[in-house]
Amino acid sequence: MRSLFLKIFLWFWATVVLTGITLIFSFLLQPGGASFRIHAALGETASVYGRAAIAELEGGGPEAAATYLEDLRKNAHTSACLFNREGTEIAGHDCASFSRLVNAAAEKSAPAIAMRHGLVRVGVRLQGESGTPYLFATELPAGPGAAFGNNFFGLLLHWGAAFLVSGLICYLLTRYLTEPILRLRDASRQLAAGNLSMRAAAGAEKRRDELGDLVRDFNAMGDRIEALITSQRQLISDVSHELRSPLARLTVALDLAREHKGDDPAFEQMQKDFDRLNEMVGRLLTVARLDTSATPAEMKRLDFGALVAEVAADAEFESRELNCNVQLSGDNHIYVQGNSDLLRSAVENIVRNAIRYTAPGTTVDVNLRRRNSAGLARSVLTVRDHGPGVAESELANIFQPFYRIEDARDRQSGGVGLGLAISDRVARLHGGMVRASNATDGGLQVEFEIPAAEVTPET
Amino acid sequence: MERLLIVEDDVELCGLLAERFRSDGFSLEAVHDGARGLERALSGEHKLVILDLMLPRLGGLDVLRKLRAQSGIPVLILTARGEDVDRILGLEIGADDYLPKPFNPRELLARIRAILRRASPARSDGERLTAGDITLDTGAREAWINSRQVNLTSVEFSLLEEFMRHAGHVVTRDDLTQSVLGRKLGAFDRVIDVHVSNLRKKLTGGSAGERVKAVRGAGYQFVVRSETKNT
Repeated sequence: MRSLFLKIFLWFWATVVLTGITLIFSFLLQPGGASFRIHAALGETASVYGRAAIAELEGGGPEAAATYLEDLRKNAHTSACLFNREGTEIAGHDCASFSRLVNAAAEKSAPAIAMRHGLVRVGVRLQGESGTPYLFATELPAGPGAAFGNNFFGLLLHWGAAFLVSGLICYLLTRYLTEPILRLRDASRQLAAGNLSMRAAAGAEKRRDELGDLVRDFNAMGDRIEALITSQRQLISDVSHELRSPLARLTVALDLAREHKGDDPAFEQMQKDFDRLNEMVGRLLTVARLDTSATPAEMKRLDFGALVAEVAADAEFESRELNCNVQLSGDNHIYVQGNSDLLRSAVENIVRNAIRYTAPGTTVDVNLRRRNSAGLARSVLTVRDHGPGVAESELANIFQPFYRIEDARDRQSGGVGLGLAISDRVARLHGGMVRASNATDGGLQVEFEIPAAEVTPET
Repeated sequence: MERLLIVEDDVELCGLLAERFRSDGFSLEAVHDGARGLERALSGEHKLVILDLMLPRLGGLDVLRKLRAQSGIPVLILTARGEDVDRILGLEIGADDYLPKPFNPRELLARIRAILRRASPARSDGERLTAGDITLDTGAREAWINSRQVNLTSVEFSLLEEFMRHAGHVVTRDDLTQSVLGRKLGAFDRVIDVHVSNLRKKLTGGSAGERVKAVRGAGYQFVVRSETKNT
């Protein structure tokens, strides 16, 4: 869900942290590289310590030198070692580790510089008061190791603070960047789901950057889509309304004509087509009303099981003429929060559709049950026929108004391609959905799923 | 010729219907708006009112509500297809039956005849039916619970009569539609259920408990209350 957020955040943060570390290293981790001035200064510092140690040695013997170096180690956290010209240890601590550096220093006049455990080590050649040459090597508080310091808690504090501050800044930056995107995504989803009045949040609209532009463009697009669809729906609704009056007159006029002229096959045909037109106009108006639904349908708690049973009984009545039957099974005490007229019409359309397509002599199975998914109780109505089914690629389309799968067959069976569109809209109005699939052994299976209410009826 | 009233704003349709009805022995008076329709419906000159629910000025449902407050004249409502809510509301307010528009005039005539047949029963020899605390006078078409008169529409009265004649037994929806509405039960036809629900509300009145039980998959059952309560 927040993966874009996480990605941007982690990348920003990693970049900041790595940049910081790289900076420190590039400044200090170049013994033979760029910073000669630093090297000279390091040599100078080492020489100061070295001369002091030699003075101690020449004044008070090796013990004095050793004491001085020990003090240095304790007070300045700097280990150092004094050697004679041949590289033999005179005084100091951990002198063996300096031997290579000292050898290097013996061969040139410039200070030898090396790195160990992240600390800079410097070896220098020095002369005492008496003119005796010595070699002195020490580690100095410089280099990345020095940045870490010797104090573990101080180190933790400094680096932890840097880490957290950079994290916080990255977090804020990421939120600033991704929030409008996430909101936009939310809005576009809802728009796609049919909530045409959905717009991205006003807060993001005020931004004066490209994201603000995007949000404004999105909202403008939403306005345009809403206007277009609303006017289209209004047109359908208006046209259907207007068609009704002439249709009503035609029906009466036809009846009068039959009275006057007697029955005629042409009249029969006209009657049949008027009926079809009537049916179509009626359903169109239902679809238009569900789509525009300015006034939300009244929802109340109702016994969905009883409603399905009634529809199934009615359908059984109708199916007898078509030489098939309807079988009801499953849980029959499921309550839902809904509008009974709309739900009845939705269930009716699905069941009627199944009766229309099931093969003669077969059964339409109507099953109602509760299903819990992700902690939400759903009531699931499954209606399955034993007909030819629908091609997989067409399954999603059968809920669209006037969608025809096989022109000839559908017209022959008298469908007007609106029944399932109504069911789909009713399901969505109730916060549910309709799905169609082909049963494994043939036949179409339609699943009508809406949220279920509490099990125990409140009385 | 029996006089009928149609309240419908489509003038041409009214003309056609009047012509059609004449050949079936009805004289049809047409009124084209709700306020005038209410006025004419209350005149007492007509046997039945055909009421379109979509009317200018005063809406059909309002006309029906006002009409029912003063008169028990049979009303058949015309509803637009797809406007199921209006249809149910109309029946709940007290319409006898409905027909979706556009309709076949033969169907309309058949329904009108069924309503008229029931509303003006030929039998003047009224009998008194009693079941528990409910008494019916089928001649005067009046009903009492204990000694309180219950105000029933003509359909509701016929329904109650039917229930009382079969007290304690389950009556199917097919039979009820046939005997009360005078027609066959259609598929997905819920008119009788709305009437039962209206009747139930009126019978339940003050005392709790349902007298008419729904028997799922079968129909309805009238339960007799043996002991009379003094309320």
